[in-house]
Amino acid sequence: MKPTARGRFRGSEAANGLAMISPTAIYALLLLAAPLAMIFAYSFMTDGYLQIIPRLQLCNYFGPCHSYKIVDGVMTEAQTYNGVWTDPLAKALMLRSLIISLVVTATTVLLAFPVAYFVSFHVSPSKKSLWLFLITIPFWTSYLIRVFLWKVILGTGGVINTGLMELGIIHEPISWLLYNANSVVITLAHAYAPFAILPIFVALEKIDRSLLEAGRDLGESPFMTFERVTLPLAMPGVISSVLIVFIPTIGDYVTPLLVGGPEGRMVANLIELSYKKLDNYPLGSAIAISSMGIVVAVSLLFLFLNRRFLKGNKA
Amino acid sequence: MKGGWFRVYTLAYLVFLYAPIALLPIFAFNNATTVAFPLEGFTAKWFAKLWEEPELHRALRNSLIIACSSSVLATTLGIFASRASTRYRFPGKAGLMGMIMLPLVLPEIILAVALLAVMLGIGMPLSLFTVILGHVLVCTPFSIAILSAAFQSLDQSLEEAAYDLGETPISAFRLIILPLVMPGIISSLLITFTISLDEFIMAFFLAGNENTLPVYIFGQFRFPQNVPVILALGTILVCLSIALLATAEYFRRRGIAKTGGKDTGGFL
Amino acid sequence: MTFSAEKSNMIEFKDVHKYYGDYHALRGITATIKAGEFFSLLGPSGCGKTTLLRTIAGFEGISSGAVMIDGKNMEGVPANQRPTNMVFQSYAIFPHLTVEQNVGFGLRKDPRSKAEKAAAVAEALEMVGLKGYGARAAHALSGGQRQRVALARALILKPKVLLLDEPLSALDKKMREQMQVELIKLQRQVGITFILVTHDQEEALVMSDRIAVMFDGQIAQLADPETLYRRPNSKQVADFIGTMNFLPAQILAEAEGRVEVEAQGFGRISLTADQVSMAPAGANPAIGFRPETLTILFDGQQPQDRESMATVEEVVYYGDMTYYDIKLDGTTAPMRLSMRNVFGRPVLDIGTRARVAWSPGALVLFR
Repeated sequence: MKPTARGRFRGSEAANGLAMISPTAIYALLLLAAPLAMIFAYSFMTDGYLQIIPRLQLCNYFGPCHSYKIVDGVMTEAQTYNGVWTDPLAKALMLRSLIISLVVTATTVLLAFPVAYFVSFHVSPSKKSLWLFLITIPFWTSYLIRVFLWKVILGTGGVINTGLMELGIIHEPISWLLYNANSVVITLAHAYAPFAILPIFVALEKIDRSLLEAGRDLGESPFMTFERVTLPLAMPGVISSVLIVFIPTIGDYVTPLLVGGPEGRMVANLIELSYKKLDNYPLGSAIAISSMGIVVAVSLLFLFLNRRFLKGNKA
Repeated sequence: MKGGWFRVYTLAYLVFLYAPIALLPIFAFNNATTVAFPLEGFTAKWFAKLWEEPELHRALRNSLIIACSSSVLATTLGIFASRASTRYRFPGKAGLMGMIMLPLVLPEIILAVALLAVMLGIGMPLSLFTVILGHVLVCTPFSIAILSAAFQSLDQSLEEAAYDLGETPISAFRLIILPLVMPGIISSLLITFTISLDEFIMAFFLAGNENTLPVYIFGQFRFPQNVPVILALGTILVCLSIALLATAEYFRRRGIAKTGGKDTGGFL
Repeated sequence: MTFSAEKSNMIEFKDVHKYYGDYHALRGITATIKAGEFFSLLGPSGCGKTTLLRTIAGFEGISSGAVMIDGKNMEGVPANQRPTNMVFQSYAIFPHLTVEQNVGFGLRKDPRSKAEKAAAVAEALEMVGLKGYGARAAHALSGGQRQRVALARALILKPKVLLLDEPLSALDKKMREQMQVELIKLQRQVGITFILVTHDQEEALVMSDRIAVMFDGQIAQLADPETLYRRPNSKQVADFIGTMNFLPAQILAEAEGRVEVEAQGFGRISLTADQVSMAPAGANPAIGFRPETLTILFDGQQPQDRESMATVEEVVYYGDMTYYDIKLDGTTAPMRLSMRNVFGRPVLDIGTRARVAWSPGALVLFR
């Protein structure tokens, strides 16, 4: 045995693979990993009006923080603001974003499951891709226009209100349809529906149909079979759709802005405010990093619960 | 009837999915500035107005430049990554692929501000180019998802057979692999084009003084009198998206049929 | 078939080792394959037979040693420049091309004219029995037809060696048997060295001039089919090829090329040196014999050599054959015995006492 020759083989396949992936990987490294690292670093720096002062501090997260102006080379204090976790507004927005996206996730996934189940179990194989295509189409049509349509539908002078008044069911416009958390939930649940259906469908498709027959054969009712065989096997798909809906919705910007009104604003709007209007990059970065932290924590919690669930099912 | 209540439920669900989109053409042709019942009669004047907006035309031109560049770049990067991940084993594969696919599950606003921070940090002026950089990042994971399926259904011995019959790795790629994954490539180009054309957040943060179509539309939301024009524009965009998607789906299916694979459905 | 010395060496493996990371896939292969031979690499899955085949084709590099084709060391020669062609397990028919385009694929850089190439393709198709199929789309072919296209595509390039990687494993039983015969005929017709990888011992015995039986990355025995079957050199080889019964034995004496053995059920017997396998020392010695070497004697029949008494424990009727599990007197484990059924002769019942004829010359000693 010659270790060099051995290394040469391993080197060649590994080297080919790495060379092949390198353009994409380098792109992601430069334009994804590096920027994320950069805002992470920013979140510990000091705001100096239109520039970042590389003085490390934690106050963007906790406590009162000062921003500075540099006039003729002299740093002068310009403003005082609260760090993310000490600012009541930021905390309220993060909490609201979390609650809204959890409600959206639960609604979307629960509503999606029967659809995925129907397409997987009751549609003939040749027609499955047609159904999936029908379900995915709305997802690909302009997101902005779809959100805007909900505003038009739910507004006081909108389709639902004028329609219902025309029919004589109501006499005054219902005002609680738009510009609150409800309208945000409805719009987001509509926008992310196909995202929720596909992973569940894929998981259901993977289930060996003879397992279900075996369940029935062993004397279980259809419902018991569903609970003891189908659901546990579909769980990985349910978890992926939970994550795939939860993660982008918590950071959604357009929907809360257009249909949320003042009480439907979410954390993305605050990030935008800090970056674009206030020009306070360290604070904006701290908010972004904090919400990413929440996303990661909740996602890990889901994965952990799923593992517990599957274990409990086996026992 | 097959499926019973599940079928009824699914159909109701589809109605919910399509209801807002169905309203688009109804009010785009409605002869009134407010979007409300009752309808006021048919008109095509909102569509005609689209021709009189130079700002819209500029935004459209920008969006087309961005979408064409992003789809080509993202698909190229997608070919490299999906080929590498389906064909080779190498250290750090899971980590690298995870990083490349990350934009799929990251809130877009975070990506946008991070890129904005970097661009301003290195002093690169915001322009269409910076939007393209951002869109490529967002589109590449979708391209990889489509192309991996195409590369996966390729039997590796096809490539070996070509070597065995005297071809070099490059000519084998050209004669065997490329024709077989071409439908996947076309499908990826169309899908990433659609995504880029529709993308708002990245463009909103990275376009600087330029407008893209979604940024222009977003700006118009502030003017209630322009709502019917936006609906007319939306109608055209939705029709365009559906046409692009149907074409993409056609090519994706043809690719699967060509390599003798099984249709697992869906883009994701 | 025997091979005279003038047949040249087509393939030579010289102490070939192959590692995948820490996994030692080929452990010192040294062997020679003659020109014009139908050679098989036989073994269970994971034994390294396909890896060895792929080192000839150039799809796998080797970690040390040398692979020679027709006297030339193949180190550094890529697959597309080796004088070998391969029929893949999945056939690897290019799905986007027609049958003709598939068969003519390797002629792309051939300097001949278009008409000459077309003639060559037609000839190759005729050779594999696919005359007139040229314009068909490749993905519309049946398994057997794909196999033939793959053969034509490889043979049209007139390689020095044709490599076949489990080519028949995807076919049903009838088709497989038919293709076995066709492959033998084809090999005689073209005279090219064929190297076949298979896990099917019957297939290897039927088709090959010589067989290398592989276990765990090593060649356990390399011999012609008859030697492999009658004189396997280890219990492992004996078990893998056909059925072999084993009875514990004790070696009493070795002298003048003969071995005296006391075997359970058979008593004291004397064996020649070529009946003794090379199996590693230290294993429990055993006498081995094939099911068909024992015969049940019916009324009045006399044994040609020796005779023992036995009890029938199990009967499995196969139509042309009957398999009996019998327990020889003085033994503990049942032995498998096969008898060709003859019209008018009864199939014995379980529990019947029977006389069994055997011959010491058909026994093998594993020490």
